[in-house]
Amino acid sequence: MTAPRGPVTASGGRSVGRTLIRGAGEVLITLGVVVLLFVVYEVYITDLFGERKQAQATVAVDRVWADAEATATVVAQAPDQLATDPRERVPRYDTVTGEGFAKIRIPVLGADYVFTVVEGTDPDDLYIGPGHYPETQLPGEQGNFAVAGHRVSKGSPFNDLGLLHSCDAIVVETQDDWFVYRVLPMAEEEATWASTPRARCGGVGVQAGAYAGVYGREITLPSDYAQVLPVPTVLSTTVPPDAQRLITLTTCHPQFSDAERMIIHGVLVTSYAKAPGFLPPELAET
Amino acid sequence: MYAWIWRHLPGPTAARAGISVVLFLAVVALLFFVVFPWLEPYLPFDRVTTG
Repeated sequence: MTAPRGPVTASGGRSVGRTLIRGAGEVLITLGVVVLLFVVYEVYITDLFGERKQAQATVAVDRVWADAEATATVVAQAPDQLATDPRERVPRYDTVTGEGFAKIRIPVLGADYVFTVVEGTDPDDLYIGPGHYPETQLPGEQGNFAVAGHRVSKGSPFNDLGLLHSCDAIVVETQDDWFVYRVLPMAEEEATWASTPRARCGGVGVQAGAYAGVYGREITLPSDYAQVLPVPTVLSTTVPPDAQRLITLTTCHPQFSDAERMIIHGVLVTSYAKAPGFLPPELAET
Repeated sequence: MYAWIWRHLPGPTAARAGISVVLFLAVVALLFFVVFPWLEPYLPFDRVTTG
């Protein structure tokens, strides 16, 4: 910046030109500041809004569960006693768009990693928390329990999905049940899966048959809708009679972009009935 | 533009500076609470669903 030279009473034309150029420069700087503010808004401010909405949804679902739990009579505490057969567990709750009906915990992402899952995947729903694709199945059911979540902004529930490994537990709590899913084998682990001893991998295997090609993590195009369907390789909403019980998490990829989607697939390995004071042992995994 | 605004603010320099800060914060609030929430759905940053 140089100080203006010469008298202020320059010729009229020069003064107008200078005013115009200065005005244009100020507008450009202002627009630059607005863009920076948008980044701040997107990355930090929406997180604050999202966390508040998430907290309200959690309070609401806790209240619903507290009312429902009054009828529960289970007194057992040991995991073995509470383990259930998912075929015999029928959801006795309704889902309402934009309201929470389940909680998702991923112990390897931290003991405090818990989000209330709401029904619906519209922007308003996803602002509250991870949203269940309404046309997909419910937790524990045969088919695919598919959930979308923001990676950056709006509470960022699914920011760390890139850190998940095969067999990591994804624990879903509903009104009456705990459902423990585990991440499927990754594509690069397929060849050596059977020959490598792995802890915590009971019930998790390389997928075959109609499920061949379904991996723990996939990077795919936004148009790849089959990922959330009952069999993630088949473009059909029909749940086959021998369908597995899958969970699918979707978020945007790469970080700060939505050119692609990151997909996490898991399979149900264990389920427990809820009981006062009982937490699934899988929640202690780190 | 900013020089014009400055000239039209009332009071001594300190008062003008204070009003400027208030004006700036008001604009930021307008952006955060009205403009950006409206603009956001049109931008390709955080669509997370498939289909």
